[in-house]
Amino acid sequence: MKNIITIEDPEYPKLLREIPFPPERIYYKGNWEASIFKNCLAVVGSRRMTSYGRQITTKLVSEIANAGITIVSGFMYGIDATAHKAAVDAGGRTIAVMPCGIDMVHPPHQESLYNEILENNGLIVSEFEENHPPVIWTYPQRNRIVAGLSIAAMVAEAGERSGSLITAHLARKYERKLFVIPGPLTSKNSQGIMQLIKEGASIVAGSKDILEVYNLESLSPAEPSLNLPAFNELEQAILEELQREPMKIDSLSRFTQKSVSEVGTAVSLMQLKGLLAEEDGKYYINTGGGNVS
Amino acid sequence: MLVKVLSASISGLATIGVDVEVNVASRGLPAFEVVGLPSKTVDESKERVKTAIVNSNIEFPARRIIVNLAPGDVPKQGSFYDLPIAVGILAAVIQFKIPKNSLFFGELSLDGTLRHTKGALLLALFAKEKGLKRIFVPRSCANEAAVIEGVDVYPIDSLNQLIGYFLEHIDIKTAKVSQVNKKIPIVQPEFDMAEILGQEQAKRAMEIAAAGGHNLFMCGSPGSGKTMLARALQGILPMLIGGEQLGVTKIYSAAGRIPPEGSLIKIRPFRSPHHTISQVGLIGGGSRPQPGEVSLAHRGILFLDEFNEFPRSVLEALRQPAEDGWVSISRSKERVRYPCEFMLIASANPCPCGYLHHPKKPCACTQREIEKYRKKVSGPILDRIDLHVDVPAVDIKEFSGNEQLKTNLETSEQIQKRVVLARKLQQERFAKEDVYTNSEMKNSHIKKYCILSKEVKQLLRRAGVAFQLSARSYFKMIKVSRTIADLEGAQEINASHMAESLQYRPKAQIKDL
Repeated sequence: MKNIITIEDPEYPKLLREIPFPPERIYYKGNWEASIFKNCLAVVGSRRMTSYGRQITTKLVSEIANAGITIVSGFMYGIDATAHKAAVDAGGRTIAVMPCGIDMVHPPHQESLYNEILENNGLIVSEFEENHPPVIWTYPQRNRIVAGLSIAAMVAEAGERSGSLITAHLARKYERKLFVIPGPLTSKNSQGIMQLIKEGASIVAGSKDILEVYNLESLSPAEPSLNLPAFNELEQAILEELQREPMKIDSLSRFTQKSVSEVGTAVSLMQLKGLLAEEDGKYYINTGGGNVS
Repeated sequence: MLVKVLSASISGLATIGVDVEVNVASRGLPAFEVVGLPSKTVDESKERVKTAIVNSNIEFPARRIIVNLAPGDVPKQGSFYDLPIAVGILAAVIQFKIPKNSLFFGELSLDGTLRHTKGALLLALFAKEKGLKRIFVPRSCANEAAVIEGVDVYPIDSLNQLIGYFLEHIDIKTAKVSQVNKKIPIVQPEFDMAEILGQEQAKRAMEIAAAGGHNLFMCGSPGSGKTMLARALQGILPMLIGGEQLGVTKIYSAAGRIPPEGSLIKIRPFRSPHHTISQVGLIGGGSRPQPGEVSLAHRGILFLDEFNEFPRSVLEALRQPAEDGWVSISRSKERVRYPCEFMLIASANPCPCGYLHHPKKPCACTQREIEKYRKKVSGPILDRIDLHVDVPAVDIKEFSGNEQLKTNLETSEQIQKRVVLARKLQQERFAKEDVYTNSEMKNSHIKKYCILSKEVKQLLRRAGVAFQLSARSYFKMIKVSRTIADLEGAQEINASHMAESLQYRPKAQIKDL
């Protein structure tokens, strides 16, 4: 049985119909429900994600998805996959728009994520049939569906010539709201973001900024205060340092003026308590979404 | 007339006695033959001996000379039979008596002087085992042979000197190892730990590795200091002790790697073969098996830079030697066994271009390339490595304006002191076992010497779940925490030791998502 929705069908998403040259047919996997298309947010960004990108995307997307917004993205590795994953983990719904035929999983190493999306009431959609391979022109064409389905788009990390800029420009063309997550000016992954800001994109300072567009309130509890009395002096000092930016053990030891041995011990224990998380050798304060218990 | 001279034959590190029988016949056509399975080198010694005798102003007898190297069924190789053959001929011609219990060893030069020859230490060792009193060796090998006490080592310059000794009793001063020791300067390693800025955690990992003899894997961008760290490691390791020195020197003697005038090796070897090395080069081999890099790194460091670039087959061949501490090399003509207790220090880039997670330079690799690159190293090899550490690129700016950070660095000597103390504790602990360091502990030793309190066990169990540790990693963490406790001089492993050891757990090689 083939799951196809055509442009004539009443179930065809209304927003998508508004764009120039909407896809005639959409192949899909999963449960096609009208509600999933009600409040969609496109989340796109660089494939070469930094650990900052992963953290901030995970944090924002889990809060946004938790509030009932559907996360739409392109299933590429990097920010796209992180956004899908965060949405699934937060118990939200997500739509993956594939650059290839509906019968393929691309990139293939993300098959487990593919299955997770389907198991959590998400959708896999594509305008390409069967085993149509992902080729250079299918990616930008796929992007117009990502932008077209969404009321707003949010870009996290984009280089100067990133493909996510195409999605961003399409979103603007379709008169959708465009948000960007600011990053450090020193990062190559911020160049595209800065370009978008100059062109008038709004800045996301927190999930509230996005939720306001959808007239929704945050459902997630307030962030737990980190200054619990149970911490010893070193743990406190480490948390204070990490509130500024994620750090390596070496830097932590320099700033706290303790030996790497002491800092290493403390950090291991804090990681086990779920206070810290590590990525690419840098530690940061675990703001939920982490699975260390 | 028949003369018998003693020498030996070397196979790997083993020696067997060889009688060099020289017969200078009074009848028959003039000839000069060597029998008793001589190799090409031994056969060529005919020409060297003949010319050397002539150039020493002694008439070479125009008679039928047969040299037999007995036993006749053992292949002989090496150039050191020159001296015993020459001595045999001279004794027959000039008619002098060779003192009993004397061993001769050395290669002749055409002018009648003696050249530096490999294997002197093994010959001296053989002499001692067989209760021989004297060994005559080239002068440049005397320091090496003198290491073995209880055998008089006679340094020989030329054939004429030897004749003078036998005929006119002109004394030759024997070489003494005590005098040798004073002469040899201790070679300083290339880098001192104090010269390396930053990399505090990597240095700490080096210290732990040195203290417990653990293998170590470094991952970091080019230029972050991996090679420097590995070279500086040599300086924080304790010097070789008694039996270890002899063991290392034997291998170097067999490989002909002891320089003229060289003697006992005291500093731990550091070997860093290039990644284009062949399997034979690394493990040892050849039709007459020579020691490979693993054996040359015996009791020292085998540093494999660009670990992922080594051919897979070469790395796989490393598994058994790394585990057992010896290699057995079998060829059609010979089977030898070389020891290879080495510390493996491996380093690799995080991705093919090297700049993944680099703070400044962007990485040009795709996810697929990175995965492919990381999969090149086999799991079983990484599994044998106790300590895993990131060596990130150092931002020099972090140090500018903070002179204290630049000047207050620990020197290798300071670190070495702690390492030596930790090793001493291990020696005491394993006095009755056949292991020397914590890294060599088997499961039975761990049960006996690493008793964990309830609290520590709980911590480890929790870490096992949180960090997805394999059963093998679990034991590694215990071994590493034992070393950390030893560095602190602590009897028991406590929670902090264990928590620190978790810092050096194997990081997930491939992250999903």
